[in-house]
Amino acid sequence: MSLQMIVNGLVNAALIAPPAMAFSLLFGILRFPNFAIGGYITVGAFAAYTLNVALGLPLPLAAAGAMAFTALVVWGAHVIVFRPMEGQSAITLLVVSIAVTLILENVIRLIYSADVRGFDIPLQRPWKVFGARITPEQVEIIVWSLVIGVMLHLLLAHTRIGRAMRAVADNPTLAAIRGVNAARVTAFTTALCGALFGLTGVFAGLDLVIEPLVGWNLTIPIFAAAILGGIGSPYGAILGAVLVGLAEEATILVLPSTYKIAVGFVIIAVLLLVRPQGLFGTAEIKK
Amino acid sequence: MPETVLSVADLSSGYGKAVICQDVSLALCAGQITCIIGPNGAGKSTLLKTIAGVVRPISGSVRITGREIAGLPASVIARSGMAYVPQEANVFRQLTTHENLTMGAWTDPGRAADACARVYAMFPDLEPLRRVRAGNLSGGQRQMVAFGMAMMLEPRVLLLDEPSAGLSPLMVRQMFDIVRRVNGDGVAILMVEQNAIEGLRIAHRGVVMAAGRVALEGSAESLLTSSDVSELYLGTRA
Amino acid sequence: MTAYLVSMGTYVGFFMILALALNLQWGITGMVNFGIAGFYALGAYTSGLLTVKLGVPVGLAIPAACLAGLVLGGAVALLSVRLREDFLAIVTLGVGEMIRLIVLNEDQITEGPRGLRIEARPFGTVIPPEHYPLFYLGLVAACVLLTFVICEAIRRAPMGRTLRAIREDDVVAEVLGKNVLRHRVQIFAVGGFFMGLAGALYAHYVQNISPEVFMPVVAMFIWMSVIVGGAGNNRGILLGAGAVMVFLEGTRFVGDFTDALDAEKMSALRIIAIGLLLIITLRLRPRGLLPERKFHVSTD
Repeated sequence: MSLQMIVNGLVNAALIAPPAMAFSLLFGILRFPNFAIGGYITVGAFAAYTLNVALGLPLPLAAAGAMAFTALVVWGAHVIVFRPMEGQSAITLLVVSIAVTLILENVIRLIYSADVRGFDIPLQRPWKVFGARITPEQVEIIVWSLVIGVMLHLLLAHTRIGRAMRAVADNPTLAAIRGVNAARVTAFTTALCGALFGLTGVFAGLDLVIEPLVGWNLTIPIFAAAILGGIGSPYGAILGAVLVGLAEEATILVLPSTYKIAVGFVIIAVLLLVRPQGLFGTAEIKK
Repeated sequence: MPETVLSVADLSSGYGKAVICQDVSLALCAGQITCIIGPNGAGKSTLLKTIAGVVRPISGSVRITGREIAGLPASVIARSGMAYVPQEANVFRQLTTHENLTMGAWTDPGRAADACARVYAMFPDLEPLRRVRAGNLSGGQRQMVAFGMAMMLEPRVLLLDEPSAGLSPLMVRQMFDIVRRVNGDGVAILMVEQNAIEGLRIAHRGVVMAAGRVALEGSAESLLTSSDVSELYLGTRA
Repeated sequence: MTAYLVSMGTYVGFFMILALALNLQWGITGMVNFGIAGFYALGAYTSGLLTVKLGVPVGLAIPAACLAGLVLGGAVALLSVRLREDFLAIVTLGVGEMIRLIVLNEDQITEGPRGLRIEARPFGTVIPPEHYPLFYLGLVAACVLLTFVICEAIRRAPMGRTLRAIREDDVVAEVLGKNVLRHRVQIFAVGGFFMGLAGALYAHYVQNISPEVFMPVVAMFIWMSVIVGGAGNNRGILLGAGAVMVFLEGTRFVGDFTDALDAEKMSALRIIAIGLLLIITLRLRPRGLLPERKFHVSTD
């Protein structure tokens, strides 16, 4: 594997790590694989595109706006669609989440058409590091992804709301018995995850292209990273993202690059068959 | 007559259409232990869950020091000075011992630090385990964490669902000692216990439940010596 | 107009077969399959390629397509026995997408996005062209009937009861001494068989197949049919598949009458409508229009 491939793999990883953590957090609380994340990411990308290109805001501001807007959409979907269906089977919710993704994707197609777009930012020359090319945007994605990982860790481990999020994911009944308002914690979690999906949309727009399928195409690598990391474990998701990112690049050595998006599926299938609890799933062993 | 801290009147509850508890009435006096015994499926655990707000009541009333709490969500009841320890899944397995205890002070975080110190003093075994995930503790240690979590905010009323379940005989004795000690500090305890004789021995009053109703009620002593009760529920013949 | 109705009826038939097959897998046995588009594509390309590249007669190519579906279904079920159902959803979706990717990328064989032109048609040389669409409708209808009869027979047979027991609780079914694994694999394979059949019938009807038809959204339409119709109830499934197809096609008409929306916007609107309908149905009638009759009273 060349240095260039490792760089590319790390960029992939940085792109999918935040949404994989968000997916894991959502799964922990809502207990079903939420396919709506594809739609959410697409919404984030187009919200940022609208603010940046149509309204002429600088990209960081547009990104913040996109995060807020996506958080609102995700929270709204939770309140309107998912919360009333609480208690239905995971499969019903999964079908519904696919429907939500299709709706969001096609609302965007309706408004923007399926054309491929990009942000209004000056084209920057890629840097060369030991012969490997990396664009300044890619560096930004990696840096922000790291910052988000650290911030999420601090939130989960050292704040009251973070502890509540883990407690509700772990044992919602007991959390209620101890006085935690699970509805409020869930609302916070959905909005937080929404902001992360929104940001992923922005990153995807920077590194890939902005089109209605951008979120759907990222869904499977994100699932793969989260499942690889042991679903429901946000830290595992980061490691999972690194492995998926590198694996996607490594595939190019043996298969045409058009099969890259299949890597996620293969990883999921193999992993689920061999180790259903995930590679880093928490097995409870006495220390 | 001491003050009544918890009074349950004509309480019915269940899951869906299945009614598990029917018209249950009982009272718990300040500083006393009431032990609920009865065969499996009598509705003992469901009664505690209903009082704690985990199962919604169908009808009836639950009052804590005179305040009506029936029908309120568990997270609101948690602020009423009553703490409930479920029988199963009574710790957060992914959280450390210390984090579990902190969750016990969720409704009053300002008191968490002092309360933790007090609980560690009560259960010295837990102190060295503070950074260990509850899922990795032994059954007895988990039970202590669950109990400690409930004791964090010094409740006036404690609901215990089978505190001795799944513990070794030695641990069972320790557990009952702890229950008695906590009660000695003035906490009223409503306890469901499969281990009926041991339970009644430390209790002041006893309630026998059968088929979702209160079949018999009296002082713990009288129940222990009653031939009906011993034959039916204690597994011994008088 | 008649021609249009005949064509629509034929499409309804493909949907009905797919929906009956999904009902067998999910509605009756409780095994999810989001890779329907992949099974459909496998059937279409197996039959198509066999006739085009190897000159196999249609009469053999269609059964071969069914067998391909059967084998794929069995293999997927066998590989994923240990999976929780929501993970099975991801794996099946993956299988579907993989098949589409292979079709898209291996264009020396499949012609990829250019589309595979298929000349062969069942009895294409015997039936006069002007009657052919009507004949094909009859053929598809016969296949729907056959699928329906077989699915109904499975549902009513003692095996059907076992399958429902597996759906409700596989641990209980295992304790009852039923061979859960065997039944799961068998049913998933039979479902795959019929999806392969639907694919082959589709291929020889349109005579030009390309990968963009087999997008995961197909799975959504079929799920919609099963959910609207009432999972578990084969009659309901026929109704559901009919309703979804009529809706999809009917909205095409609306597009013809307004100039404001181009084809792409119209198709986006249709998918939005399907998505909304699905959510509303699940909210208001979670058991579908014709719910399965209760076969036992839950005691817990």
